[in-house]
Amino acid sequence: MQFKDQLGFIGQHMKRNKVRLAMTILAATMGCAFLIVLASVGFGLHKTLSDDILENRTVTKIEVPGKEDSDSTITAQEAEAMREIQHVKAVAERSRPQAEGEARLGERSAHADLMFVQFGNEEKVGLALSEGAMPSAEGEVLVGYHFASSLLTQEEQDNAADGEEVDGFAGSLIGQTFEIELKPYEGEGDPVVWEFTVAGVTEEPAKDWMMDSSIYADESWSKTIAESLGTEESSREVIVYADELQYVEGITEKLKRDGYYVYSVTEELGSMNMFFTLLKAGLIFVGTIAILIASIGIFNTMTMAVTERTREIGVMKAIGAQPKLIQRLFLMESAAIGIIGTVLAVIIAYGISMLANWLVPMIVMSSLGEEETGDFNILISVIPWQLVAISAAISISVAMISGWRPARKATQIDVIHALRQEL
Amino acid sequence: MIEINRLSHSFAIGKKGDERKVPVLEGITLHIKKGEIAAILGKSGSGKSTLLNILAGFMAPESGAVAVGGQEISSLKESEMADFRLKNFGFVFQSFQLMPGLNAFENIALPLKIKGMKATERRATVEKLMLEVGLSEVADHYPNELSGGQQQRVSIARALITNPPVILADEPTGSLDSETEQEILDLIRTLNRDLGVTFVIITHDDEVAGIAHRQYRLHDGKLVKGGQRRAI
Repeated sequence: MQFKDQLGFIGQHMKRNKVRLAMTILAATMGCAFLIVLASVGFGLHKTLSDDILENRTVTKIEVPGKEDSDSTITAQEAEAMREIQHVKAVAERSRPQAEGEARLGERSAHADLMFVQFGNEEKVGLALSEGAMPSAEGEVLVGYHFASSLLTQEEQDNAADGEEVDGFAGSLIGQTFEIELKPYEGEGDPVVWEFTVAGVTEEPAKDWMMDSSIYADESWSKTIAESLGTEESSREVIVYADELQYVEGITEKLKRDGYYVYSVTEELGSMNMFFTLLKAGLIFVGTIAILIASIGIFNTMTMAVTERTREIGVMKAIGAQPKLIQRLFLMESAAIGIIGTVLAVIIAYGISMLANWLVPMIVMSSLGEEETGDFNILISVIPWQLVAISAAISISVAMISGWRPARKATQIDVIHALRQEL
Repeated sequence: MIEINRLSHSFAIGKKGDERKVPVLEGITLHIKKGEIAAILGKSGSGKSTLLNILAGFMAPESGAVAVGGQEISSLKESEMADFRLKNFGFVFQSFQLMPGLNAFENIALPLKIKGMKATERRATVEKLMLEVGLSEVADHYPNELSGGQQQRVSIARALITNPPVILADEPTGSLDSETEQEILDLIRTLNRDLGVTFVIITHDDEVAGIAHRQYRLHDGKLVKGGQRRAI
C-alpha cells in the first residue's frame, strides 16, 4: 500500500469516533504541553542568568592577572606570545601607578584612576570615543565618559556627601589641561604633580550603571612616573580578546595550560551551565511522567479501535493485507495522535510561555513595589527548538509505544473468527 | 487449478486437559480445473466451510495437501500466504463483508490499494469494472445505502478487481431474495464465461449449485458425491 493511501486509510478511521479521538489527543496535548512549559522554566531561568552575565561584560574578554608559578609580572614577550595564539584578536596590556591620585581642573577635583595603556591595542579591542581624538602628542590623554561629571567643586562635594545630585563639570573637556597629583601608596615619597591635556573622551558605557572615570595615558608614562615617585612599575594586567565567543573557552584552556591565572566568561558560565543542565534534565523527566499518563489514554483508544475493527482487519487480511501492513496502520494511527497532540502542545506552550513572560515579571515587580525591571530582563520561560525537538521525540515515541501492543494484537486477529463477527 | 489430496482435519472440543477430537474433514480428494465453476454442497456442519477456510489459507489442515496453480499452500508462512491470496484469490462472502466506512468505489479499490497501485491507474481500473458489473451509478454510495444485491455485486467486483485466477464464494446468495439471487448467479456465470475465472462456491442450495460445472457433496466431513463435469 502506498504511503499516501496509508495516510488516507488512517484518516478515514480516525474520523469515525471523533469525540474519543479528540479526548485522546487532548490528553496527549496536555501531557506534552506540561512537559514543554515545565522545562521551559529551566531554559528561561538559565537564559536570564546567562544573558545577565554576558550583557554585563565583554564576552570575548579573557583576563590574565598573572602567572601561577611566579610573583613576577607578565612580560612584554609573554604578552606578545599570547597574540600568536589562534583566534586571539588583540592583547591589551594595562597597568596603574602604585600611587593614589587626584585630578584637578581649576577649582574642581576628582579621584584620579590613572591607567597606562597601549592606544593601538585598545582601539583594536573596541575602545571608541564620544568626542575628540586619540592622543597623538606628548602629554595627551583620554578620559572616561564620566570623568567630567566626577570633577566637583568643594561645594558640590559637600552637597554630594549630603546625598544631593550634582552635575560636575558641564562644558567640553577637549583641549583642557588638568593636573594630577600622585602620592605613593607605600613609603614617604613626596607627591608629584603632572599636567595632561584631554585629547578625547571615551564612549558612554553600554549599561546605565557602568561608570568610566578613568584617565588613559600612554604606557610610556608608566616608567617615568614610577621613577619620579620612587616606586616600582606596577604589575601588568593582560587582557586577551578572542575573535568570537566560541573561541573563548579554547583560548582560556590554552592559557591555563601555559601556567597563567585566567578568568573569562566561560569560567563563570561553566558551573552555572552544569547546574541548569541538571535542572532541565530533571524538569524534562518530571514532564515525561505527564506524557506517560496520557499514554494510557492512547493505549485504551487503540485497544478499543482494534476491537471495534476486528471484522475489518479480518477482511483486509482475507483479501491479502500483510500482517506488517496492519501493524503499520495502527502504529501510524497512534503516531498521528502523538503528532497532532505535539503540534497543539507546542502552540499552546508558546502561548503560555509568552503569557508567563509578560505576566510574571509584572507580578514580581509590583510585589517588590517597582514599576520597571530596568536593565534586568526577566524571562521566566524560554522554549528553544531543542526543547520542542526533545518533547516531540518523547511524546511521539511514547504514543507509538502505547500503540505497539494493540497493533500487535491486530496482526494476530484470526481471519475466520473476525469474519464471523456481526456488523 | 486446485488439487486437494487426502485432506483431513478435526477440531478439539471440551475443556482443556479433557479434550476430544471431532473430525470435520476426512480424506477429501478433489480436483478443480481452470475456468470451471465448482460447487461444494452440504448441510450445516458437513465441513464445507472448513474446507473453504483451508483452501483460502485461513487455517492449516491436519493432514493432506492443498495446491493452487501448482503451489502447495499449506506450508506457506503467514506473510507468504497473504501475498498468495492477494495474487490468486478473490473472496465473496455471504454477509458481503464490505467496509462500512468506505463507499462502493473505495471498497472495490481496496485490494488494489493493498497491492500498492497508483491512484490514477486504480481509478481507471475500478471505473471500468464498475461499468461492467453495473455499479457505476452507486459508486459513491456507502454499504448501508445499497441493497443486498448491490452489496453483493460490490463484493464480487472487489473479488475480481485484481484479476485473480480463483474466486472463493461462501454462500454468495445466502442473504439475498430469490430474484436477486438469480441476478448474482447470472453475473457469476457471465464472469466465468467472459473472463475465464475459476469459481469455488460453497452452498447448501441445490439451485445455486446448479450453475456449477462440477458439484461435490459433503456429508459429515466426507465427500459423498461428485467430481464429474457436467454441462450447464
